[in-house]
Amino acid sequence: MSQMDPDAVSKAFVEHYYSTFDTNRVGLAGLYQEASMLTFEGQKIQGVQSIVAKLTSLPFQQCKHHISTVDCQPSGPASGMLVFVSGNLQLAGEEHALKFSQMFHLMPTPQGSFYVFNDIFRLNYA
Amino acid sequence: MDPDAVAKAFVEHYYSTFDANRPGLVSLYQEGSMLTFEGQKIQGSQNIVAKLTGLPFQQCKHNITTVDCQPSGPAGGMLVFVSGNLQLAGEQHALKFSQMFHLISNQGNYYVFNDIFRLNYA
Repeated sequence: MSQMDPDAVSKAFVEHYYSTFDTNRVGLAGLYQEASMLTFEGQKIQGVQSIVAKLTSLPFQQCKHHISTVDCQPSGPASGMLVFVSGNLQLAGEEHALKFSQMFHLMPTPQGSFYVFNDIFRLNYA
Repeated sequence: MDPDAVAKAFVEHYYSTFDANRPGLVSLYQEGSMLTFEGQKIQGSQNIVAKLTGLPFQQCKHNITTVDCQPSGPAGGMLVFVSGNLQLAGEQHALKFSQMFHLISNQGNYYVFNDIFRLNYA
């Protein structure tokens, strides 16, 4: 089985994650598992149900993520991948976008895909 | 030890070493370590420290705004996600940055296996 280019994998993941977030947030459940962890603005949440409950209850219905940078590195012997993203989050009705940084630790699934094991999100306040 | 306490202690040590004795960072990396600095990929402790000591400023001060950490998996590693301001000597305005470290435990001490740094441009 050929190893896919890590940069290509991380870019494809980022595109998929944020387009799902922006159009079908509930669909993010397919990207997390029971052991997954999200730290959202310092709040620690574990498990796919709790993570998606948090993301779907954010105080905005519509948003658009614009990605500025994507960096990735292999995370160690378990074939995980670290993805570090920076960008702008535009909320519907808001004039100014919010800057954010986010890191994902992706682990391989038996089916040859990746899921999010670690997820840490911070807005970058002025 | 409490992971949050470990992460905070590491962050304090890393940035105080960076600000006061950049060559001293070499002991926090190993040969397999990776740094991505503003998109540039560098591997190995010697190359990483050469990059950091070759930055175009002699004096700086990191002021940390947030530190988040999570355990990275069964091997006992830790992910640390930092945001803050980088003040360069002689510059009026600080630069905002975000950085993530993946720390691996080595006989009770942690070293940096993964390091990714980005400035957060206005």
